[in-house]
Amino acid sequence: MTDSSTTDDATDRSTDGETTRPTNRRSHVREEYGEIAATTDGCCGSSAADATNEPEPTAADDRARSIGYEADDLETAPEGANLGLGCGNPVAISRLEAGKTVLDLGSGGGFDCFLAAREVGPEGRVIGVDMTPEMIDRARGNARESEFENVEFRLGEIEHLPVADGTVDTIISNCVLNLSPEKPRVLAEAFRVLDAGGSLSISDLVATAPLPQEVREDPDAIADCVGDAAQIESLEAWLEDAGFVDVSIVTEDDWSEALPVVSARIEARKPA
Amino acid sequence: MKESLLEILRCPLDKSELELEDAEYADDGEEVVSGTLVCTECGEEYPIEDGIPNLLPPDMREETPA
Repeated sequence: MTDSSTTDDATDRSTDGETTRPTNRRSHVREEYGEIAATTDGCCGSSAADATNEPEPTAADDRARSIGYEADDLETAPEGANLGLGCGNPVAISRLEAGKTVLDLGSGGGFDCFLAAREVGPEGRVIGVDMTPEMIDRARGNARESEFENVEFRLGEIEHLPVADGTVDTIISNCVLNLSPEKPRVLAEAFRVLDAGGSLSISDLVATAPLPQEVREDPDAIADCVGDAAQIESLEAWLEDAGFVDVSIVTEDDWSEALPVVSARIEARKPA
Repeated sequence: MKESLLEILRCPLDKSELELEDAEYADDGEEVVSGTLVCTECGEEYPIEDGIPNLLPPDMREETPA
């Protein structure tokens, strides 16, 4: 089934030395998050800023409150959906309307998907894409326990979204884009699947100054969401190159004492 | 996955439509529990296992355990 004319993309990746790195990196990230999914322990955020690591499950809820989730949000989502891996609350800022289609890039345990499902109601739908099978399993288990029937999870890569053009109203994502070795590609894919006038509303860690090379190349720093946090100027340029308008990147709290990394709300719109 | 989702699912490689083959349904008759999604353009096959479509590109899927 590997016809070169149709899978050139995959072939490129394995033959071109420059692009074999993303594959290795993805594997490392996927292993890390597969383990997190299996153990409940948080990761993203317990990083460079806090070497003590391994928050308790309740610490995930505390974390969620500290980054902008309401107590009500924590009750809406099934237990275990909040893994404490986010760095902001994209749902709160994305002004979701009933009946809309929402796509969550890197949906993890599904926490944001369930909150989004509450907003879009039974006429809307929420699709979570994650490349880690253990996370998808977990999200699906959470979905079974919840009352929501409008949430679906699928295994996929955010660089190769398995979603048709122009079918999504809002894209959300929480502390995931920094993990991708091909951020411009993720943003181009996001643009493609958005309907005209659709919006991107994500939370992520960004760098306010160049990061030291040893941090950028450290696989653990990358998996901890800081190593490959993009610089704000780069993100703005990639969003505009992808075709987005009304680009807004608002930095919030410092994330790390050791590194120039902050959490940010990143918003943009596909022209109507 | 629900069969109605097929309308917006696409092949991750060439974004062509997918066809559902060998589908097994849950008791409610809507949820597809297992089957195969086949790209109408390149013929790449994507398995549905335990209700979850695996739409990772083939080079990523091969390194996925189980």
